[in-house]
Amino acid sequence: MTLNVDTPAPARREGPRRSSGPRNPGRGGRGLARFDLRATPYFLVSPYFLLFAVFGLFPLGYTAWVSLHDWELAGDKTFTGLDNYTELIADGAFWNAVLNTVGIFVIATIPQLVLALMLANALNKRIRGRLFFRLGILLPLVTSVVAVAVVFTQLYGRDYGMINWFLSLFGVEAIEWQNQSWSAWIAIATMIDWRWTGYNAIILLAAMQTIPKDLYEAASLDGASARRQFWQITVPMLRPTLIFVVFVSTIGGLTLFAEPVMFEGNPTMAGGATGQYQTVAMFIVKEAFRDFDMGYASAAAWLLFALILIGILINYSFTRRIGGKK
Amino acid sequence: MLNTKRQGKLAAVAVMAATALAITSCGSSEPTPAAGGDGASSAAAAPVTITVHTFGGGENFGYDEAVKKWNAEHPNIQVKYQNLTDRFEDVFLPQLLQKLQAGSGAADIVGIDEGAMGLMKARPQFFADLGQFGLENRKADFPAAKWENGVNKDGKLFALGTDIGGMTMCYRKDLFEKAGLPTEREEVGKLWPDWAAFMEAGKKFQAANPGKGDPKFLDGPNTLYNVVLSQEGPKNGNIAYFDTNNQLVIDKNPAVKTAFDTVKSFSEAGLTAKLASFTPEWNAAIKKGGFATMGCPAWMLGVVSGAAGDENKGKWDVASVPGGAGNWGGSYLAIPAQSKHQKEAAEVLNYLTGKEGHIAAFKEAAAFPSSLPAQQDPAVADLKNEFFNDAPTGQIFGASVKDLLPLFLGEKHAQVKTAAEKVLEGMDKGSIPYAEAWTKFVEAGTKAAG
Amino acid sequence: MTAIQTRRRSSGPASSANRIWDAGPLTKVTLAFALVLSAFPIYYMFIMATRTNDEALDTPPPLLPGGHLGENVERLLATEDAYFATGLINSIIISTTVTLSVVIISTLAGFAFAKLRFRGSKILLGSILLTMMVPLQQMGIVPLYEMMVNLGWTGQIQAVILPFLVNGFGVFMMTQYTTQAVPDELVEAARVDGASTMRIYANVILPAVRPGMAVLALLTFMQNWNEFLWPSIVLNPDNPVVQTSIAALNQAHGTDYVMLFTGTAASVLPLVIVFVMFGRQIVGGLMEGAVKA
Repeated sequence: MTLNVDTPAPARREGPRRSSGPRNPGRGGRGLARFDLRATPYFLVSPYFLLFAVFGLFPLGYTAWVSLHDWELAGDKTFTGLDNYTELIADGAFWNAVLNTVGIFVIATIPQLVLALMLANALNKRIRGRLFFRLGILLPLVTSVVAVAVVFTQLYGRDYGMINWFLSLFGVEAIEWQNQSWSAWIAIATMIDWRWTGYNAIILLAAMQTIPKDLYEAASLDGASARRQFWQITVPMLRPTLIFVVFVSTIGGLTLFAEPVMFEGNPTMAGGATGQYQTVAMFIVKEAFRDFDMGYASAAAWLLFALILIGILINYSFTRRIGGKK
Repeated sequence: MLNTKRQGKLAAVAVMAATALAITSCGSSEPTPAAGGDGASSAAAAPVTITVHTFGGGENFGYDEAVKKWNAEHPNIQVKYQNLTDRFEDVFLPQLLQKLQAGSGAADIVGIDEGAMGLMKARPQFFADLGQFGLENRKADFPAAKWENGVNKDGKLFALGTDIGGMTMCYRKDLFEKAGLPTEREEVGKLWPDWAAFMEAGKKFQAANPGKGDPKFLDGPNTLYNVVLSQEGPKNGNIAYFDTNNQLVIDKNPAVKTAFDTVKSFSEAGLTAKLASFTPEWNAAIKKGGFATMGCPAWMLGVVSGAAGDENKGKWDVASVPGGAGNWGGSYLAIPAQSKHQKEAAEVLNYLTGKEGHIAAFKEAAAFPSSLPAQQDPAVADLKNEFFNDAPTGQIFGASVKDLLPLFLGEKHAQVKTAAEKVLEGMDKGSIPYAEAWTKFVEAGTKAAG
Repeated sequence: MTAIQTRRRSSGPASSANRIWDAGPLTKVTLAFALVLSAFPIYYMFIMATRTNDEALDTPPPLLPGGHLGENVERLLATEDAYFATGLINSIIISTTVTLSVVIISTLAGFAFAKLRFRGSKILLGSILLTMMVPLQQMGIVPLYEMMVNLGWTGQIQAVILPFLVNGFGVFMMTQYTTQAVPDELVEAARVDGASTMRIYANVILPAVRPGMAVLALLTFMQNWNEFLWPSIVLNPDNPVVQTSIAALNQAHGTDYVMLFTGTAASVLPLVIVFVMFGRQIVGGLMEGAVKA
């Protein structure tokens, strides 16, 4: 390493933030150097695009093609046009899965963001053992999805679970969490939140620390309360990070799979007796690998994609409005 | 390889497909890297490993001892026995079908419940013809109906029977005693000659257990439903969801409606613990005494003893079932056509479905032999089940299967069963109102039949 | 804004003028509560792994360790049909391979997008952003499965490695990180010295983006360690990954709670140990990565 570049702190950035390359490329006249300048960038990005073409783009197109067929794994493939789509749109089971997915997403994400904000704010204070607290709330992230689901499913057990035991101390009757949508949604949402709230808090904390403290000092001088400062300064300044966090949660939330599958215990992909917590991802797997209706599953996958796009648009416009009055 | 006709079309549809197909074609000409797999595809050199995949709760197929013995005696054919899941219809079966269709990944020998035999009979391409390994000569060992079910639509033998269900009623002796009910199996059997009497006994039991945390009389809807259906089926043309022309009759067969109504009445009377069978909570309740009775085909005894564990030995017992004889379940073993060691697999299959294998399974998992020589063997006829208070299970089940006529189960029986029973579970647990349950039940079954 | 930031950095985490930076009792209670909630399920997992099945179903459930860990571990390893050890090894191989690939490919592409000028770069980067929204797990399930069937790779771990070798998030993150971590002047200076693009990559970029690579590696490793949907479809029970192996334990031995919990605990233990050992660096890296990316 001839050039000693130590880890740059944000302060070292002096130039404009957005810069797409050297201002003066290709001063060297020799052909080899020019070729290097012209061709190497493509060479550098090509591994990504080649692999993505095979394992990303090709499946996308192929799924679209399959979705136009009555397609069996090893059997007949009959072209049916848009039949799968029209059938799906009229399929109550599909919309039930959409409702579950969106429902779980909403009741998981909103408390998660609020809690993450609160935690980040708390961690941003002067307190002894900061690292210890940060590590502590990040710990759930390094456990595995399936492990979390196993533990929580046990905790939510109807007859011998700790949560029902705890609730029984307050006279609450034993709840069968899997039995109704609302309880199953809550149970699954807590699994998601338990694992991700700490991570999001750390990300938000990092962003919070880049907010200039002078802003707060000025506000303090004006007599603004801590709460007011939080909502008027902190939250608006976090907007880009919030957008990022919501973006990632949206994709994760709308493709939810492992938690509800493990919550059911057996991978039937049914999500309860009446599909109380069957998500769209489970619906797709059930159609493709339980009922072997590949075309139908592929059509559902495309509708899921559409759902994600809509979800991102809604969230984006919603998050953008945070602190919009600033 | 993707078939060529499709390739052509594809290339026209999406440019990027070309890249992928090029890569697929490259891949197929290269030797397959053997990363990780330790399955049947290993080199031909001895010893051969034969994998056996089964399903079922508790002791499931009960092959631990039989396999141990085989492996000790056959150093060149080593058997690996793996029970994959508690659930057949909605987990084991689709996963097996996936692998059969994909052409790889299935075990050398697979267990199949009677409920899917209609489906498998109609798909001869999936399984090896056992006739070529001389197993046709086993015909005399089996009751005609059990044998016929293992013959596919082309007239080829593809599966041999393991066990046969029969029907009894399991009960928790200790809970019965606490509730002031009789505890000896003869008296218990006399207590409930029919389902009405069973209901009375249940009400008496529940009156003695009024508390919220107290045990319930019955486990849940599934077992009771299957017991009644297996009793009523033979009275109604010997069919369940499908008639012999494979037409769905879920809404027309009185046997189905009777079974449904029986479940509904017990559920409405609050006698069920609202547990779906073959779930963790159900298993836990077997262990902890969450309910007092459960319909028990022979193989269910193995489920109970396996789920309850040795420490609960003697707490469960077995009595005659209300409403007379019936058969629920019973399975088969088959060899997928994709198996690379069909000949060796056939030897193992012959052993496991032979007298010796059947007797070992009966001892271990109470799975009552379907083979006649095993049934007649004193080791079966005189066997007492230690876990169930030394109940003479050989005698009990021997009597119960004597005039047994298995139901005709259509090609999509397993799918319809799963969907319909889900509705029963929902009804029992309260997510489907009793008044709407029958309509939903028929709807779900119809949808599953496709 | 940069200037202000610099001053804040130099003046420590808070200036004494504003008391809102002191942790009040409420803050402390919140944090302590969060800590307990975070740790409890993991603690519970390990407690259950030291108990017997009977104790596991007690009400109230046990909250202190018992003395049965040894026998539970023995039983777990003796339960051949879960292939737990195979699953662990497979997961390590898969996660490591994928992590290496994603980090290398993302760093290369990130460098190009951040510091090199070439025709179509904006469109290409934009397309990567778009692909991040594609639920590949779901949309790819049918075609990728058919692809693996045709290649004869079902049941083998390369079927789980290949589809994950690249990841749009990685490229996006490394682009952002490189843009901010490496001053353009350094790249230009190296150019003037006659360094080729690859030399600049090796000597200027790589040393500077190492923290970003570490964060990306951590996130990618965890993501692949947690992969569940695709392995559960394309792999067979006798050659699982760690997640499907636990799912198999849950299915076939669901009544043996303590063994299931022992397996679960064993599956998180490696990551927890790494986390505790490198906790400071991980938190630091995540926070730095978050600000730069």
